[in-house]
Formats: sequence, structure tokens, C-alpha cells
Amino acid sequence: MNKPSLAIAGLTACSGCQLTLLNCEGELQEILERFQVAYFPMGQSDPDRQARYDLALVEGAVSTPGDLATLFHFRNASRLLVAFGTCALFGGIAAQHNRTTPRPKLLEAVYGNGESRPESFPPAPFKNFVSVDAGITGCPPEKGELLQLLGAVLAGTLPAFPHYPVCLECRSRETLCLLLERNQLCLGPVIQAGCNARCPATGIPCEGCRGPVAEANVAQELELLLERGFSREEIERRMSRFTVEWDYGQRR
Amino acid sequence: MGSVVEVNPLSRVEGHGSVKVYLEGGRAERVELCLTESPRLFEALLRGRSYAEVPEIVCRICSLCSTVHKVAALRAVEDAFKLTVSRTTQLTRELILHGGQLQSHALHLYCLLLPDLLEVKGVADLAREAPDLLKTGLKLKQVGNLIQEELGGRLIHPVNITLGGLGRRTSRDTLQRLADGIEEILPSCLQALQLFRRSLPFPPLPTPHYLALATAPHSFTGEEFQLDALPGMPVSRYREVVSEWTVPHSHAKSARVAGMVPTVGALARLNLSQAALPGEEPLREALVEVQGQDIRANALAQAIELCRSALAARLLVEELLEHDPADTGRPPHLTPAAGSGTAAYEAPRGVLIHSYSFDASGSCTAADVITPTSLNHLALEENLWALAQALDGSEPALLTGSLERLVRCFDPCISCAVHLVQL
Repeated sequence: MNKPSLAIAGLTACSGCQLTLLNCEGELQEILERFQVAYFPMGQSDPDRQARYDLALVEGAVSTPGDLATLFHFRNASRLLVAFGTCALFGGIAAQHNRTTPRPKLLEAVYGNGESRPESFPPAPFKNFVSVDAGITGCPPEKGELLQLLGAVLAGTLPAFPHYPVCLECRSRETLCLLLERNQLCLGPVIQAGCNARCPATGIPCEGCRGPVAEANVAQELELLLERGFSREEIERRMSRFTVEWDYGQRR
Repeated sequence: MGSVVEVNPLSRVEGHGSVKVYLEGGRAERVELCLTESPRLFEALLRGRSYAEVPEIVCRICSLCSTVHKVAALRAVEDAFKLTVSRTTQLTRELILHGGQLQSHALHLYCLLLPDLLEVKGVADLAREAPDLLKTGLKLKQVGNLIQEELGGRLIHPVNITLGGLGRRTSRDTLQRLADGIEEILPSCLQALQLFRRSLPFPPLPTPHYLALATAPHSFTGEEFQLDALPGMPVSRYREVVSEWTVPHSHAKSARVAGMVPTVGALARLNLSQAALPGEEPLREALVEVQGQDIRANALAQAIELCRSALAARLLVEELLEHDPADTGRPPHLTPAAGSGTAAYEAPRGVLIHSYSFDASGSCTAADVITPTSLNHLALEENLWALAQALDGSEPALLTGSLERLVRCFDPCISCAVHLVQL
């Protein structure tokens, strides 16, 4: 049987999703044997831009004309395009000011008014431009979910990831509820599970790095937090750290 | 008629970049290092955010160095609020930074650089042609990551190290497991000294001006910079000695320190620091070998630091096991006040500076992050230029291949480099 060809690429990002693959130390060698690595500049020289890929894992948000060209290239050249990580799925950390500060103002703050200002637009998720076949969420993504996806693709299918909030995993670990019992700004109720409630389990409120869960009761979360004395402005600021596209009136 | 030879994309480095060599009549006229990572504008993103959010957001600058970015940011915020941390917290931070250094150096040496020594194209080729060596490297990396994940609660962008303390103190069982892991990799660390002693077949390169922090043994932070044999420069006044500017061909900035072109990272640290750890007798010969060397010796310097981090981590685990159980590292209550704070750390790739100002409500009014790759930017260009001249008249493929290998010697982290600057 032919090995499926694999592309791994990055747009506007920290390389953390690509690093997550290299962090699968126990499994990496088998992955490199079972796939034909056609495009992975971070790990292999002479990446093949002309190839067709069975699977493309692309991380990062789309924020430059170059990013957009790369995204179109991998959409056109790949059978399965995976939005790899929170930036690719929701815009992520670099998009948090999209609704509040115009892009030119942000650019000016860092690069001044000179000629060397790079061309850049508000960072956006893949779904604004192309159709994607699957997503792996998280900032960073969970190694287990990446391995599930790679295994499923080898078996000719795609994995089913959980569609319930972080709270469910948090409660099943019998962790103290930071929102109800400690009055902390925890986003667990509206955030996609799959991390086994890593942060609340160490006593740190959920910062929302995995993006919105399907059918999130956003309005109820807002009410719970307002009741606890957080301002609307602070809540929106925290919720927009990884995802700006919240519907604060959503109640399912 | 002039022509341009380009290495695009630079491969086996973190982030996006390219090198252009401008040729005139077959001779190299000019070399440009273009760091083309899309900017994320972190310093601008932080304005108006609360002091508590700053470290959580800013660690996302880079995945490879997320731990040291987080710790440096926490320390800078703590400096602004005059907050000190407990011994457990200090030890935990040092240990997790050694985990970060182990993982980063192991990744660079065994996955990104080793293919150059074995003349293969990358990690996928290694899996086929040198599976045992790759396995050894991945094991080193795995133990570094085990430390990072157990102490940080998450492998990349750690959450358990927080402002003024810890979410949770690491349990004795976990520390014991870390000790076992470290013990297991010590022999492989020593083997790395032999493996990475081999230097690339380049002509001699410019002698660097080494820049590093003056640190205590097994610590990553200090109050003074050292630049060659110059008198120490206080970290708190870094703005007076570091000058930086934008360049048209790159999204990163270039920097000079005290008017000189600095080189930061493992090689610089080992050339400036005389501090030794107990148990490092087997490293002596290699330590002598890297003194006064150019960037080709950076791989051996990283291998020495792999050993040092394993030794230091072993000591730190022991100390944490014996340290007062009543010191849980619980963060003190913090009342924000107007102020500014700065902290400098040695990231795996070299000196990293974080500096922030806050208003009376604790909202961030200014942010400045200076990263190792920006500090190395000019030295990297100078080295590329020197190598391009030395290889004048070579086949384009030899020229570009050599330049790319030279870039990898620096272990650049390009997503880091693309956003430093004051607001």
C-alpha cells in the first residue's frame, strides 16, 4: 500500500502546533515511517511544493497575503486539509483585538510609521476563506488528539472529538469548581473539552484556549460572571483572548 | 549582469525566513537575511491588558521558548510590584527552565542539526537512516518535556507557574519520577559531547562578541549583562545599551549592544561564565574546546549545556524533595500599583528581556520584549556575508546549502524575533 503523503505547514503562529508533532517523542518515528513526509520545512529540507498531499496539517491564523496564498495552495493540493490548532480554527491569540483596535493602529504601535511596515490584515481563521475537512483545537493542541487524527487517517477515516464543555471533564476529575466555589473568571462552561481540564486541575481557571464548545450557553456564562462582580468589559476581554467571534446573547 | 541566489524557505529552523545572496559577475555582492514571519504585534496586544493577563498572553510569542517567556514575564511583573517568591517557587521555576533547555537543545541538536552532520535532509530521513541516534535524541527531549509538563501542568505554554507562586506544588511521587528520568539520560548527554564535537566543514568565521547574563550556577537569570571583557551592565538599564532599528527587508529588528554586534546563546554563555556544577568533571575538556570559538562550536556548547541541565535538574529535584513541606508556593494576595519592572533570562537561544509598565489599576501601559534572535540578527548576517565571500565562485547549490547550515548553527527562533519594540 502507498504511504499517505503528509504536509505540515505554518501561517501566523508560534509553531506550537508543529512542535506538538515533534513532541510526540514516543510515536514520532512510527509516524515518520507510516507517512511519506512531503512538506515539513520545520523538520525536513527541500519541501516539495509541487506534490499532492493526502493530509495537510496547517497551523496559524491568516493575516498576510502570503498566508492566504499558502492556505489556498494547501487547500488545492490536499485531499484532507486540517485546521491545526486554535489560531487556524478561531483566529487565536493574535486576533484578540480584531473587534476593538484597527489593524493599522496596532502595526503603527510596533513598527512605527516607516516604510518597513509589513503588509498585514486582521488575523482570521481558515473557515473564512476555504472549507476545512477537520480541526484539532487547543493552544497548544493535545498530543493525544493529534495522534488520534493521524491514526484515523491511516485507517481511512476521521476521529470524533468530544462535543462537551471543559466542566464535564473537570467534574469527572472531582476538581474544585473555581467558578462557583472560588468566584474566579473560569471559562470552562463554554469551552470545548478534550484537555481533561488541565488548568482547573492545577488550580488555574480555564482561559479558553480550546475555543467555543458547540451550543455553548454563552449568555448564562455571562450572567454567572456578572453576578460574581466581574465587569462586562473584563469578561469580554478575557473571552476574546483566543476567539473574538462570540455571540454573547447565545442561549441553547 | 547581477543575479540573486535565494534560500527560501529556510528549513529546519523555527519560523519563516529566507536568505538572499546578490551576485555581480559571479561574485557575492551582498547578503540579506529576511525574517518574514507574519507579525503578531504582541507589544500592541498587551496594551490595556491587566498585569495578570500579560504573562499568559506573551508566552504565546514562541512555542519552543514558551516556558522562559512565561517566567521572564512573571518576573518582570513581580519586579514592577516588588513581589518576592518563595523558595519552592524559585526552585520549581529553575527546574522547569532546565526542562525547557533540555527539550530545546535536544530538538535542535538531534532533529534539526544532526541531518547536516550525517548529510541527510531531515528528521524523516533520520528515522530511516539513523533510527538509533534519533531515538536517543528523542529520549533526551522527552525527559526535558516530562519536566516541563509535570511542573507546568501543560507542555507548551505552561499554566502551573503563576504570578507570585504556583498553582500546585509538585508531588513527591512526580519528583521521584523526574529523578529517575534524569538518571536514565545522563549517559546519553555525555555521548552527545562526542557526537556534536564534529564541526561543519566551513572556513573560519568572524570571532563573536559574546553577550550573556552573569548568573549563579544552574540559574537562568541575573542582574547584569556581560559583553566580552567589558564591565557588567545592569539589566535595569538595558535601554541605555541596547539599540535597535527596523530594516526594510525583514520583519524583525536588528540590535547592537554598547555599539557592538553581539552573539548570544550557548556558546556565549560558556565563554563568559566560569561557574561550575558539582559532577561536571567529564565536561572539562569540551568546555576548554569552545573557548574563543566562532559559531561553528555552538553545537558542542549546546551539548555541554544538555549535560549541565541534566546535572542541575538532578540537584534541583533533590532540593525540592527535601525542601520545607509547609512552603506550598501559594501566591500572595497582590494589590496593583503603578510601576515598571524588567527581567532578563537566558533562553535556550540566549538573552531574553521582558519589561512592562502598569498604571495604578494594574493595566499595562508599555511593553518591551527583546528576544535572542533579534540580538543575534546582525551577527548572523555578518557570518553569512563572511561565508558567502569565502565561498566565492562556488556552485549556487553549494553556496545556498552552506548558508542554510550556517543559519542553523545559530538555532534561530524566527517567530520570536518578529516583535520586539517599545510601545
